[in-house]
Amino acid sequence: MNRAPWIAFGVSLALAASWLGLVLVPQLQLGSEPMVVIEATGQDYPLARSGGAQAGAAVYRACGCAVCHTQQVRPAAEGGDLARGWGRRRTVARDYLRDEPPMLGSLRLGPDLANLGARETNNVTLLFKLYDARIATPGSTMPRFLWLFTKRRVPAGFAQSPEALPLPPAFAPPPGWEVVPTDDARALVAYLRSLQSAALFYEVFPPVKPRPATNGVAPVSATNTPPTR
Amino acid sequence: MASSNPPTLPPRATPDELDAAGRGPVLTLLVATVGWLVGAGALALIAAIKLHAPGFLADSAWLACGRVLPATANAFVFGFATQAGLGLALWLISRLGGAPLVGRGGIIVATCFWNLGLAIGVGGILLGDSTGLEGMELPRYATPILAVAGGVIVAWTAANFLARREPIRHVAEWYLLGALAAFPWLVATATLLTGFLPLRGVVAVATGAWFLQNLFTFWLGFLALAALFHFLPQLTGAPVPSRSLAVFGFWSLALCGGAAGLNRFHGGPFPAWMISVGVVASVLMLVPTLAVARNLFPLLRRHDRTRPPAPALTFFRASLAAFTLAGILGAANAGDAARHVTQFTLVTPALDQLTLWGFVGLAMLGVVHDLVPRLVGRAWPSARLARWHQRLAVAGVALLVVSLGVGGVVQGLALNQSALPFFAIVQRTVPFLGMATLANLILLTANCLLAVNLLRLLAQLGRERWAQFAKTWLTPLPEEVDP
Ligand code: HEC
Repeated sequence: MNRAPWIAFGVSLALAASWLGLVLVPQLQLGSEPMVVIEATGQDYPLARSGGAQAGAAVYRACGCAVCHTQQVRPAAEGGDLARGWGRRRTVARDYLRDEPPMLGSLRLGPDLANLGARETNNVTLLFKLYDARIATPGSTMPRFLWLFTKRRVPAGFAQSPEALPLPPAFAPPPGWEVVPTDDARALVAYLRSLQSAALFYEVFPPVKPRPATNGVAPVSATNTPPTR
Repeated sequence: MASSNPPTLPPRATPDELDAAGRGPVLTLLVATVGWLVGAGALALIAAIKLHAPGFLADSAWLACGRVLPATANAFVFGFATQAGLGLALWLISRLGGAPLVGRGGIIVATCFWNLGLAIGVGGILLGDSTGLEGMELPRYATPILAVAGGVIVAWTAANFLARREPIRHVAEWYLLGALAAFPWLVATATLLTGFLPLRGVVAVATGAWFLQNLFTFWLGFLALAALFHFLPQLTGAPVPSRSLAVFGFWSLALCGGAAGLNRFHGGPFPAWMISVGVVASVLMLVPTLAVARNLFPLLRRHDRTRPPAPALTFFRASLAAFTLAGILGAANAGDAARHVTQFTLVTPALDQLTLWGFVGLAMLGVVHDLVPRLVGRAWPSARLARWHQRLAVAGVALLVVSLGVGGVVQGLALNQSALPFFAIVQRTVPFLGMATLANLILLTANCLLAVNLLRLLAQLGRERWAQFAKTWLTPLPEEVDP
């Protein structure tokens, strides 16, 4: 008996079934999920990102920060995420509606960043972390991202530019030189500060009313952090 | 489909005819395989060092560890494992089907394009163009080249399947056929959904996980199982004990294998049902795992001691052990109690490497080891290098998996002690990351030995060809010689 057609057919059927169940059904269930309105502020959640923060998401993707950092918080019953102060609640699918793509990550060599914006608001601290994480955490294993900075000569007779990083002496460049963050570094910092998934709505907290998706037209939001220069 | 009444089939070609026909395409694929193996090994070493040495190569954006890691994975999967698997498929189909390979030129050209597309894709990741989706990082300007080139090779492989002169008899052929049938699904999902119809929010991530899991199971896994089901009986001289168990193992794997990947999302922002499906599928994976192990392990014991042990057997034996262990650990890691500790720790890459390097990689090294000498009709130039390659490769994989696995458990237990500062956890993982670096160094060394051996073999062949060529050129033809 010739079994070849049956094997090919059977395997295709198994794949088709798993594709329908695990790609198509989630797409139907989650793909058209609407934003929600947070009643206290009247804003759509998730908040739209400023242009700088959006550019920063691309830098985050291109640097591959997600290989060491997750952006997802587990429920209180699973592991110690909430106890560690990485969030006020677990993250849900709706938190990622504006992420293209969501960079959830699967390994935590560094801390979870889903709510970084809520706990770290200082641009300089974040720029230091990218320039050399050992400034704040001696012995840190986070890599240096030197290409996000330019090291340049201070013209003779001039003071350092106001943009230059105020590096502590042990990390500072030789006299006459300064380290300036590039636009990418600033955008990345704006993105990092935009990372927040603490808003409470019905899915994670009662009772807020849902609103249809805004068809990708981002509502202007007043509290959105502008990229700080 | 091929005719089902054997009497009408043309007679089998002789093994020499088969080898001569297969030499070009299969050797092309295997040589490219070894190239990517060494390339991926070098990238893996850089990435491993970067995980614990913050100042290492920190000046170059293209060597960021967030770029090098996905570049390594893609080079390994699509450069090394996939091409070795395709070489195996072509050779095995022609060998078992008894028909000389057809479409040789097409396959060689498509292989060149596959390598070109992959080089563009991996280069793109290093330049920062990764899609950002785990498992589907290759940028969209590379995936269409890979889809077309891979499609051509797979189509020719399928055509060779139809041209065979013997009916399907071997378990290995089922797995090959399954892999060929799965290929279009995988390619279509990867190219369309990431590049051309991007999905919204976490659905994109779920699709990435679907792709990765099915790539591991139906493509890499099936190809590696084909290798095990062919080479273990052949090299030990004992037949597969139970055919019905093999049928059962095949179909149960096809049914459960596709869903187990959702497990990765334990506690993640996904509907609870998806994770439950993943957990159930991972536990059910025990069934095919044990069915295959039950069928193949006895071969190793029944091994005829009077025959000299075949060198490639080491690889297949280790690969079978890794396959079994991966199935068991995967099921053990599915339960809540384990996941609460191991989730987001180094246990995840440990299990991935156990499957990818241990099961698939070692099986494919066995394939290279066994097929290359057969195809060129001469032994490896240095038996000593070949032996060291085997030992170091198996030791490297074992060290890699153990250091990441143990490190992951230590890390997970520490993460759950919320009073422990994060940096203290980092410090606890560093020694394990250091051991993983050592493992990657061992693997790279091993694979360089293989590459050296291969280069010497090719140089020998080249010299011989050249000598022959020169001789025929320089000796006057009989009619040119004045009587
Ligand atoms: C090799 C793994 C690794 C990579 C890659 C990595 N990090 Fe880190 N990161 C760490 C570690 C380890 C820590 C904790 C030690 C410390 O704070 O320095 C950390 C800490 C941080 C923190 C502080 C978090 C907090 O809770 O205070 C931020 C912010 C951060 N990383 C951002 C980034 C960004 C942005 C990128 C990509 C450009 C990145 N990291 C890439 C390992 C990594």
